[in-house]
Amino acid sequence: MTSTISARWRQVREGPEGRLTEHFFRAMFDFGFLSEIGADSFTRVVVGSVGGLIALGLVLTRGYMIKYAVLWRLGSPERYRLALTGDDMLIIGLPMLLVAFITLLVSHSLFPDERDFRILGPMPVPRMVVFRAKLAAVFLFTGLFTTAAHVSLMPLMLLISINPWGEHTVVSRVVAWVISGAAASAFAVLAITAIVGVLVLVLSRSGLHTLSGMMRSGVLAGLVVCLPLVSHLPALGRSLSDGAAWMMFVPPAWFLGLQRVLQGSADPILVRLALIGLGVFLIVTFFIAAIYAVLFRQFERLMLRPASMSAPWFRVPRFVTLPGATPAYRGVHAFTVITLVRSQLHQGVLVGVSAIGMGFLISLLGARFRNMPLFAPFVLMYLCGLGARASLVLPMEYRANWIFQMTEDQATRRDQLRAVDRVVTRFVVGLPVLVACPVLWWTRRADALIVTVVLALVGLVFVHAVLHEWRRIPFTCSYLPGKRFIGHSVIFGFFLGLLFTVFGGVLAGGAASGTAPAIIIIVILSTLAFVLRRQRLALWRDSPLMFEDEFPDQLQQLELQR
Amino acid sequence: MLETRGLSKRYGAFLALDRVTFQVRRGEILGYLGPNGSGKSTTVNLIVGLIDPSAGSIWLDGVRMDDDPIAYKRRIGYVPEEPHLYTHLTAIEYLMLVGRLRGFNEQTLGEKVPALLKLLLLWESRYATMAAFSKGMRQRVLLAAALMHNPDVLVLDEPFSGLDVTAGLLFRTLLRLFAAGDRMVLFSTHRFDMVEKLCSRVVILSHGRVVAEREIEPFQEQATSLENVFVEVTGQEDFTPVAREILDLMQA
Repeated sequence: MTSTISARWRQVREGPEGRLTEHFFRAMFDFGFLSEIGADSFTRVVVGSVGGLIALGLVLTRGYMIKYAVLWRLGSPERYRLALTGDDMLIIGLPMLLVAFITLLVSHSLFPDERDFRILGPMPVPRMVVFRAKLAAVFLFTGLFTTAAHVSLMPLMLLISINPWGEHTVVSRVVAWVISGAAASAFAVLAITAIVGVLVLVLSRSGLHTLSGMMRSGVLAGLVVCLPLVSHLPALGRSLSDGAAWMMFVPPAWFLGLQRVLQGSADPILVRLALIGLGVFLIVTFFIAAIYAVLFRQFERLMLRPASMSAPWFRVPRFVTLPGATPAYRGVHAFTVITLVRSQLHQGVLVGVSAIGMGFLISLLGARFRNMPLFAPFVLMYLCGLGARASLVLPMEYRANWIFQMTEDQATRRDQLRAVDRVVTRFVVGLPVLVACPVLWWTRRADALIVTVVLALVGLVFVHAVLHEWRRIPFTCSYLPGKRFIGHSVIFGFFLGLLFTVFGGVLAGGAASGTAPAIIIIVILSTLAFVLRRQRLALWRDSPLMFEDEFPDQLQQLELQR
Repeated sequence: MLETRGLSKRYGAFLALDRVTFQVRRGEILGYLGPNGSGKSTTVNLIVGLIDPSAGSIWLDGVRMDDDPIAYKRRIGYVPEEPHLYTHLTAIEYLMLVGRLRGFNEQTLGEKVPALLKLLLLWESRYATMAAFSKGMRQRVLLAAALMHNPDVLVLDEPFSGLDVTAGLLFRTLLRLFAAGDRMVLFSTHRFDMVEKLCSRVVILSHGRVVAEREIEPFQEQATSLENVFVEVTGQEDFTPVAREILDLMQA
């Protein structure tokens, strides 16, 4: 019997379906923008991060030990139940978020695509096998991370399940959590797959590339912004117990309902949540089955549809370029904006890093410090600056930059780089000011305007730091990562951000304290921004463009003792 | 006249180009012939100013390139061997970018770019990004970009690779007419047949050195050549009017 199963398994594994599944699974580690060596090293990082997850779970458990020791000492089963409800939501929500991230990263590989069609089509492999293998690879890949997330949270689950009041047996809780948690993570995978699937079916080939990139960035931003919300889940136990209606819109709450129903609860709120969860899960599953079925039947037609014959939906609007701008300015400006809209990599970096800032902003606003609205926009500004620089520095079709080299002209170089300055200023100053305006108006009323002005002026000074020694046309210069030790960069970046936020917040607070300090601060910042901008323009007029990235002149020596 | 004088390029210990001297006269298409690795692309990169020579100099109409490289580059049009383009842009967006970098105003671009795309048979694909283009289509975009600013010198590095017969015929007609307008074409290739069909003179390169330079007898197109048969049976038009229109558009 065992040998028959083993032989059958070997047959499947070594057959076309097994080989294809393995191929698709491996391809999920290739995001399309990494070189072969980069993809290999990324695979190692991904596998290493599973270990990191387990370590993180242990750290979380260590922190929760203190919380639950206190709850035990209080001797109140009611408070324990409330805490447990919130924490159960957290350990369902965390894997959901992680698996959603991972699925989003591999969203280009969720369905058989044109490459599969062209390469596998002429081979003697039935289409059904290709589709089954793709599904199996998606299942394996997301399953790997779902399992890793649940294994890493298992110690925490065990810890919070043990209680002196004999609420439920540990085993029944763990079993219910594994089932509901797996369903929650599967729902996260299915939801993202459904969005991608709709785009695959309805968009033209050219539209698919642009819009799926934008979808990826948008969902990425949403997930990053959700991070602080997930960290607030433990505090929602009371809202759930009170039957707050808005809990119906919190996906982890649905699956908490499922977990509790599996444990035997008949609480109508929890039953309703469980039913919503199951209903949504089934709808999304049927939806994806339908997408797969349509794709399977219409594979040729969908893969061979012509590139769009209609005008691209995105054009650089005329109002975003300065009236009377020179051709050189218009050229670089349009090139930068179009690349940021169409390139998934550049857009992902820009949106991803900035979304961390947005997440910080939201979580800081929730903090109970009166002056937090003063500091929070500076965090967003700092991360927008980091995102902008990181995105513009990454090359795009590096070997195509000869056209910029051939047309470099001292007379127009400053205009070309002024276009970069404009894009960066809009993003680094405009976006945070736009987001902070309503928040400041809501929280500070009287001095909102003055704080907004200070925020904008600090932003104009910060643009100089973002464009420090910048002599590149965006995306055209080679890029040498690893010029600094990564740990050094992270620590340096963190403290710089902290300094910037504190400094900006103190200036804003100072300006809000009275008319005289406000005038002094505004005059100083305006002068500084003006002088720094003149310096930038002078550098751009006198220095040639940079097309080859350089290592720093002074290499750091370790000065080891002999 | 475009002239190289003792042009050398060294990469570390490797001498890629060794004292190369030749001229491209006005009104001529100079074939620059050599096997792979002989230094053709290095010469082309030096002439278009993408790399600096280790020794020697380049002169255009008696003015040394180094004296005013910007003015020199304004007079050069270049079609590289590999169609290195920003493929996330559409053909219109790319030509607009090149036009703006060359200093054209919006009105001129609005007239030139669509007209060039129509003449080069790219109008139907104007909304598709160039990622979906064949190599031949990309070469046509590069040719349009190279001609847009009405250059005096056209430098072509294997421009016929990947072109279909129709586009190849258009290219050849265009180059002949371009050179006939008292301008210069440097045509780098390893294909003898193209040199024989197009060029009036050839410089042969081997191991980074010029090993021969000679005039070419005017090539007589055989009435029964396979290409002529193809043109006849597929009803291809005479490309001279189209090529003339492109050249007129360049000068507009």
